[in-house]
Amino acid sequence: MSALWVSSLLVLIPVLAALLTLGLRRTPHLAARVASGAAIVSVVVGIIGMAVAPTRNQRTAQPSDTFHVGDLEMPLALGSGPTTAAVAAIVALVAAVVLVFTQWYLDDDDRLAQFAATVSLFTAAMMLVVHARDLVLTLIGWEVMGWCSYLLIGHWSRKESARRAAYKSFIVTRVADIGFVLGIVGLSAGAGSTGLDAVVSHWTGEGGAVPEPWTRSVLLALVVIGVLGKSAQFPFQDWLPDAMEGPTPASALIHAATMVAAGTVVLAQLFPVLVLADGARWLLGIAVAMTMVGAAALALGQSDLKRLLAWSTVSQVAIMLSALATATEAIGPDPGLFHLWSHAIFKSLLFLTIGWLSVVAGSTLAMALRGSGHVHQLALVAWLFGLLALAGAPFVVGGLSKEHVIVTAYEGAIGSGGPGVVVLAALLVTVVLTAAYATRAYLVVAAPDGERSVSTRSHAVGDETAAHELDETAVLEEQHDHSGMPSAPVLASLALLTVLTVVGGLVMLTGLFNLHRASMWWMLLTALLIGIGAGVVWLARGYGDPRNAFVRTVRQRTLADNGFGFDTAYRRLVAGPVLWLARIVEFLDREVVDGYVRGAAASAGIAGWLTDRGHRREAPSAGVGLVALGLIVAAGTAVLTWR
Amino acid sequence: MALILMLLAPGAVGLWLVTGGRALAPATARVVALVAAAIGGGAAVVASVMRPVIDRAWITDLGVRWHFEIDGISAPLIVLTAVIGILVVGHAWVERPWESPGAGSAATYLGSLLLVITGALAAFAARDAVLFFIAFEVVLVPMWVLIGRYGDPHSAAKRADASARFILYTAIGSTLMLVGILLLVARAGTADLGALPRAAAGLGSGEQVLIALLLTIGLAVKVPVFPLHTWLPAAHTTAPTAGSVLLAAVLLKLGTYGLVRLPVATVPDGFGRIAPVLAIAGAIGVIWGGLICLVERDLKRLIAFSSVAHMGFVVLALTSGSEIGLQAALLGNIAHGVISALLFVIVGGLKQRWGSVDLAVVRPALREVSPRLGFALVLGLAAGLGLPGLAGFWGEFLALVAAWNPVHHTGILRTCAVIAAVGAALAAAYALRVARIVWVGDEVTADAVDQAADTRGIELAVIATLAVAVVAIGVGPFLVLDVTADAVATLVGGAR
Repeated sequence: MSALWVSSLLVLIPVLAALLTLGLRRTPHLAARVASGAAIVSVVVGIIGMAVAPTRNQRTAQPSDTFHVGDLEMPLALGSGPTTAAVAAIVALVAAVVLVFTQWYLDDDDRLAQFAATVSLFTAAMMLVVHARDLVLTLIGWEVMGWCSYLLIGHWSRKESARRAAYKSFIVTRVADIGFVLGIVGLSAGAGSTGLDAVVSHWTGEGGAVPEPWTRSVLLALVVIGVLGKSAQFPFQDWLPDAMEGPTPASALIHAATMVAAGTVVLAQLFPVLVLADGARWLLGIAVAMTMVGAAALALGQSDLKRLLAWSTVSQVAIMLSALATATEAIGPDPGLFHLWSHAIFKSLLFLTIGWLSVVAGSTLAMALRGSGHVHQLALVAWLFGLLALAGAPFVVGGLSKEHVIVTAYEGAIGSGGPGVVVLAALLVTVVLTAAYATRAYLVVAAPDGERSVSTRSHAVGDETAAHELDETAVLEEQHDHSGMPSAPVLASLALLTVLTVVGGLVMLTGLFNLHRASMWWMLLTALLIGIGAGVVWLARGYGDPRNAFVRTVRQRTLADNGFGFDTAYRRLVAGPVLWLARIVEFLDREVVDGYVRGAAASAGIAGWLTDRGHRREAPSAGVGLVALGLIVAAGTAVLTWR
Repeated sequence: MALILMLLAPGAVGLWLVTGGRALAPATARVVALVAAAIGGGAAVVASVMRPVIDRAWITDLGVRWHFEIDGISAPLIVLTAVIGILVVGHAWVERPWESPGAGSAATYLGSLLLVITGALAAFAARDAVLFFIAFEVVLVPMWVLIGRYGDPHSAAKRADASARFILYTAIGSTLMLVGILLLVARAGTADLGALPRAAAGLGSGEQVLIALLLTIGLAVKVPVFPLHTWLPAAHTTAPTAGSVLLAAVLLKLGTYGLVRLPVATVPDGFGRIAPVLAIAGAIGVIWGGLICLVERDLKRLIAFSSVAHMGFVVLALTSGSEIGLQAALLGNIAHGVISALLFVIVGGLKQRWGSVDLAVVRPALREVSPRLGFALVLGLAAGLGLPGLAGFWGEFLALVAAWNPVHHTGILRTCAVIAAVGAALAAAYALRVARIVWVGDEVTADAVDQAADTRGIELAVIATLAVAVVAIGVGPFLVLDVTADAVATLVGGAR
């Protein structure tokens, strides 16, 4: 199987799965099983894809018939590459795990099949973005993902909060997409082609004519604005925590491997141009620096642990993007993509674990989740390793990738004129904060709480061995008891993700990511910073929830839970004025633009009355008078110009 | 042969239905009309593939010929009209406007539908400027009957106002267009649309601008372009469902088609001069329509205003003057025809079930009580907001590309492209506003189910056909683009 076959298959399998699943909606459990089966096949294909991935510097776009629309070329080709293969494999894995989890989590939901179909379509769209070698395909995947996220977040559409969250997420990202669309339009129109290679070679000046740097910066900045929206970065960040209204599997998918990570993939594809566009890099750098610190601080103050994870995603995606904003040409986009890879693993692990714990506790509030980790040994282990990776502890997957991002920012800070210094400072502050909130999340869930009697069941045996059988055994037994114990496949998936969180960094050995050596000194420094962050929270453990040591008053808590009040700002600064303008426009349309029409009707009426006087016969309808007048004018003009 | 059949079958049957067969029982009239629409539609599809020619002398003194021919630009529109024609006649089994008090007979209604279709098919196939104008006018009167007599049964005054406004407005537009056509034909010495571009090339620039101005304003009423659009919401709100569908999917297309055929093709230099103004009007239309949709309470009016916004994109694409622009305009045209037809069928169905489509009234969520209708509505809304994979995306994306690199006036058109892109975000806001009010909502009790019975039978077939078309054009835009490519290349090439 060649790499290009793999890319086509990875896009097509989920599309077909989505259609099939939707067709089977009358038998939801079968439909969900079909979707998971297809997703597991995708994982196998993804792993094969990693094995047959082309080496660096190999041209790997599909040779296809190029379409032409006027002067515009549209190759509409898919492609592959080493990082592409690695990212695609992890997307496939997360999607499969999410679907397996969904079968248990939404077992009694009446729209299980629709949910599974949407997840499949969502995966297909992300695969399209990952493999696209054509900006139009990127845009298609990008927008379809936005639409699927709307459907997933609004899945429980009987809840007003879910409806609002879905609406908000789509509108906020779509507003940012004004920039994305215009950026792509400008880049393609300039290059005369939507093909990625043609665009990159045109805008890097390889093709001969050197493009105007100013235009290049503006267009890339427009693309960056779209990325900031989709990746929930400042000032668009506020849709993501609200999106927690969606079912937990949807959150896991959106946060781990698809929607919010898509921006990183797109900017990595455009990296050769981005690295030349200083304005866009500054915009990106400043936005992500503000986001990563602000979101990490908010995560510490959340009263809801699921929202804590949401803010941690915002912060972590900022870290990925910061690598792209600061990387020099020699380093390339791979440190950012490596962090995407590791974030996908540990964030899906964390979300699925909290999905499980919330079923146990009946809520995602930190208060309710206190001590819930004792439900099962695996839950506690999974939560611990997920948080270790999130905090960036050395040697687990998240630690390794964060290390590379920090080194990249350092190289950028000393090596080129980009926003490296600002980003580096923000990164170091974020490391401390991340360690702090991760420690808090662990302390809450692992609290030795005597009051809660969590029924620990003797189910823990053999979970680790089950992990290795995941790929072969798509046998998904119907073992749902909603007393809080997931089915065996779910436990196996969680175990697999836990193992990957520990050893996932070994992907560095495959050479799929082009990474430079991390420095020992930076590793020591970050370990120290993590120690400080974790230590401070550890000391505050006596408060019950360590958060209470930092966020003391009710006012502060509300501020944290509201995300610094950005929702109000969106309403006051954007939605309000737009609606106000809309009312004015409606008034103008009714009273002014339509006014002259009524005037015309009135004058036609007068004309009709005059005609009536003249003819003393039945009244002609209002229009006829004017038509007659017009015909006379017409005939007159014709006669006058006739030669 | 196919051409004659395409025009004769619906034309003759339509005429007979509104005159001799007026008293025909509804059941018989429906079958007769459907057969006529199907024969005409089938012939239209055959003719679009075979591309036969009819060319006879008609008014020799004026050089006007009885000349019908289908090329790449008109073929997709002919097929669209043929399919829509069959669907609207079929829809007479679902909605029966002749049963409301004060309306005429069923046969008149069906005959009017057939006559509108005939006129539109003739206009798209006409290759003679004067013949085009006549066919264009043939459409107006039956449409006026549809709005005035078979429209909203709740208010006779509104019907009269909407139909009078429609006829008055479009008649003024037509008159200006006629003046333009006569001027053009007289100066160029031929009425043949194929020969006009070359013949008109020698005209002075002042004359070109004047002709382009007259033709463009006349046709802009029909498109409609801001600020000449106010007849559209009134007409759409009042017209019966089939009338709304015909208005959106066929009549508006006559406007853009006319713009391509007359000013763009024949007096490109003159059109180039006024293009910036038109582009600005188009861009304002995108924003204007989008903003009104954010606060409009009547769902039918809302869809009508969204039409204004979408046609803004089409006009913007046209003004770029490039090949991409024309392609984008033609594709956007077809896409809008299919999408708005779908939305009007659904909204018309809702109005029939609910009595009104006021968005301020709380009603059971479609997703809960009638999932099929709800799915179709969401599909239509998603297509309307330009979701890739559905029909609307390609026309809008290509329109923006075209406006980014126009032949002239780069600065103005780029600004317009930015404005139009902002309008696309407004489209998302209002489409999802409708979805949030109508599609999703709290679970309702069982007795509410009767209020919005799910779609089935013929209505489902009509909706499904349009939905499939929306997806097909979205997934395979080259189905349309390949048909139009050569004709567009000739048109733009001939202009230079």
